[in-house]
Amino acid sequence: MNLKTPFSFLIIIIFIFFSACDSQNHKTENRVVIGISADVQTFNPLFAFSVDEGVITELLYLSLFDFRWNNEKGELDSYPMLAERWEWAPDSSHLKIFLRKDAFWTDGEQITSADVVFSFDVFSDPVVQSRMYGNFRNLYFDNENHINIKKTFTIISPYELQVNFPPSSIPSLDDLSSPVLPQHYLEKINREELATSESNLNPVSNGAYKLTGWDKNQAITLSADTNSFLFKDGMIAQLVFKIIPDYTSRILQLKKGELDMLELVKVEDVDEIKQVEDLRVTALSGREYDYIGWNNIDPVAYGKGKIIPNELFGNSRIRKALTFAVNRKEILEEYLQNYGQLAVTSVSPIFKSAYNNDIKPYDFNVDKAKDILTSEGWKDNNHDGVLEKDGNDFRFTLYYPAGNPLRDFASTVIRNNLKAVGIEMDVQTMELNTFIDNLVDKKMDAWMAAWYIPIPVDLKNYWYSDLEATPRNFVSYQNKEVDKIIERLETKISGEKRNELIKKFQAIIHEDEPVTFLYWTPDICAYNKKIKNINITPLGAIMHCWEWTFNQ
Amino acid sequence: MRKEFGKTFIKRFLSSLLTLYLLVSFLFIIIRLSPGDPTNKYVSSQLSPDLAKKISASFKLNEPVSDQYVAFLVNVIQGDWGTSYNYHQPVLRVVWQYFSFTFVFALLSFIIQLIFSFYLTIFIVNKRNRLLDKIVSDMSLIVYSIPAFVLGVTLIYIFSVNIDLFPISGLRSLDFEGMSFTSKIFDQIHHIILPLITLSAAGIALFYRYLKDNIDVVLNQTYILHLKASGFRNKIIMTKHILPNAVRPLISVAGIELGILLGGALITEVIFGLPGMGRLTIDSILARDYPLVIGCVFTSGAVMIATNFIADLIKIKIDKRLTVELMN
Repeated sequence: MNLKTPFSFLIIIIFIFFSACDSQNHKTENRVVIGISADVQTFNPLFAFSVDEGVITELLYLSLFDFRWNNEKGELDSYPMLAERWEWAPDSSHLKIFLRKDAFWTDGEQITSADVVFSFDVFSDPVVQSRMYGNFRNLYFDNENHINIKKTFTIISPYELQVNFPPSSIPSLDDLSSPVLPQHYLEKINREELATSESNLNPVSNGAYKLTGWDKNQAITLSADTNSFLFKDGMIAQLVFKIIPDYTSRILQLKKGELDMLELVKVEDVDEIKQVEDLRVTALSGREYDYIGWNNIDPVAYGKGKIIPNELFGNSRIRKALTFAVNRKEILEEYLQNYGQLAVTSVSPIFKSAYNNDIKPYDFNVDKAKDILTSEGWKDNNHDGVLEKDGNDFRFTLYYPAGNPLRDFASTVIRNNLKAVGIEMDVQTMELNTFIDNLVDKKMDAWMAAWYIPIPVDLKNYWYSDLEATPRNFVSYQNKEVDKIIERLETKISGEKRNELIKKFQAIIHEDEPVTFLYWTPDICAYNKKIKNINITPLGAIMHCWEWTFNQ
Repeated sequence: MRKEFGKTFIKRFLSSLLTLYLLVSFLFIIIRLSPGDPTNKYVSSQLSPDLAKKISASFKLNEPVSDQYVAFLVNVIQGDWGTSYNYHQPVLRVVWQYFSFTFVFALLSFIIQLIFSFYLTIFIVNKRNRLLDKIVSDMSLIVYSIPAFVLGVTLIYIFSVNIDLFPISGLRSLDFEGMSFTSKIFDQIHHIILPLITLSAAGIALFYRYLKDNIDVVLNQTYILHLKASGFRNKIIMTKHILPNAVRPLISVAGIELGILLGGALITEVIFGLPGMGRLTIDSILARDYPLVIGCVFTSGAVMIATNFIADLIKIKIDKRLTVELMN
């Protein structure tokens, strides 16, 4: 070693210092940086399968109508967006839509009725395999679920069109909520090749923001489109979605001020974030609930094509006893620090008009649980601490996907709770895809998972008795009364009647307890106080971000 | 000798191809037998069971594995590795996007590992059996034992959070496009320093220990004593006699290390938000993106075989006697 070595180190340190200072000198003002965990693979709403793709494509592509959350009523209200106004036929057989004349694509072309018709055509085309394929039940469609364009749409002028609905349908504006796509840009592409087309990465869009930069796996930059009818002076000039796969890095960058907004913050980080002066934290619950699924039918028999009640969980009184035995409040208080609330049924309290306030959650009551189990013939005759009936122990395995600390904590509490009433529960984690496979094939007796609920309320997909038609009814719950309610909800009824039926549904589900509803988990969002006009609703935090401004 | 080399070179090349073929074939069958259905996310719950089956069938995963395998081989021979389910792009294009970063990142790390460990070893050899020698030897063991995620997070905590000298993650600043050419270079260096330290630390420690042990062995040989007694200068003995003999065993280790680096560094990539092969491979496995899994594993396998092959060529260059032994 000679003098050269320390000299080289000195040069390196000066170089690092200079590069650090140099990077700090290039900061753009008037932008909001939002942290996300993964890059998008498309900017085309047809194929926006991930949550982040959905959020970004919703900003790029507007729909005919603007849906906003009405917190008073707990339901969606519709406002004009690309449709300036609309007129329903008195018998709801058709809807006339009048488009805005000041709405343009980013390449300068005007948005017309033809774009609207093209969008519904391509979204429902089985060849395209879009994310909304199969979702247009209230329109005329063929036996492949492709919308019958001729029967459904009548173009009156470039800015006026009529949508015709089948006589038996119960149409709503929600049926026409898919984003409008540019016909002139996409029609040249063979539909079979749309999914792999380069056009998905170079969008011609119509939103308040347009794509101006995409540094793959690093950041997505959207800039305010001054030609958009939504553009206003003072709106945020740039939205940057910064891709940071590691959660800890996202939190550090939020605290350091490198991020202005972060969703899906974990409860354990809230206190520290609240210490940062520039940050504000909001917690909303009601979109996702955790539950313990009790397979109502026997998985082995189901594999052989037979449906018989599950030996352990086929009886609603036993399922109720299990709910009494689990201290859900402890998990809510200890782990979720009271962010969130106990779940009673699958209908969220956010749907204020349809929520049944008369139903109260089952208490944690060990004695009651034991009484029910005893009355159902489960007794510890051999005094080994485990209940038996007909020579069989009350013993089972609870499965859940690996990598969720809340469920690790909850499973320990549940195991201890059930042990106290004489039930032996093993716990086993599983890789997510394997878990989903087993759920779909109904191979497990008991599991812990979550449901992210749709808006508006959807019951059929989860609770209807036809197990072939409703693959998401994982617990195989079957109740004829519930079926009747679900079928009534698919007929033309008033909003009041609809809410009444949903309340009745909740009462039956509460009585049957097909699963143990645990708690509504919180969606915690942290953002910089400098952003004004943020309206965080069950629809998300970023929706309507063109209304955000900066505090002066 | 040259003819012998050419013959064994072709033999080695063909056996490498066979290894890759077996690797890809084994993987093709294993991932199809493993649980998980990549078509799940494309099937809406609103679809009738018949239409849902039709969508799943369009992925051709319902066909017998043997039929799928034959179709796959025919396509690969024609240069078509399939289309990624998630990226909706040809597999080779997706792999290239990630491999190009991994190639540069791994190569930089490899060069740093070699240079640092080399100079550190030479420096310490001159101070053999002193306190510094012991401290560095113990430290190298500690550094080698520290998991990358611990080192990475510690570096971020010290240099990014507390001192604010380096960015926490990412490859570039958000305003990269608006920077001048020199600023762009500074910016990239600024971003890559902590990831490079995280990725290289264990390799430096490993190479140091290997090289140091080898030098110690050579130094104890009688011919070195003979050279010293004959009056050769220490520098000559080191460069002409000790180093060539000590470096040779290191070349194989370096070849394997480079192959591992080029296969991706998952932990470093995730902590620092870098777009490398490690992340791509794991993401494709978790998403059951079958064509992409095969593309990633093939690439990693190919670079591993290639780097080992290059390492053997370098060894032959140093010692021609090894030609037949190594090429076979």
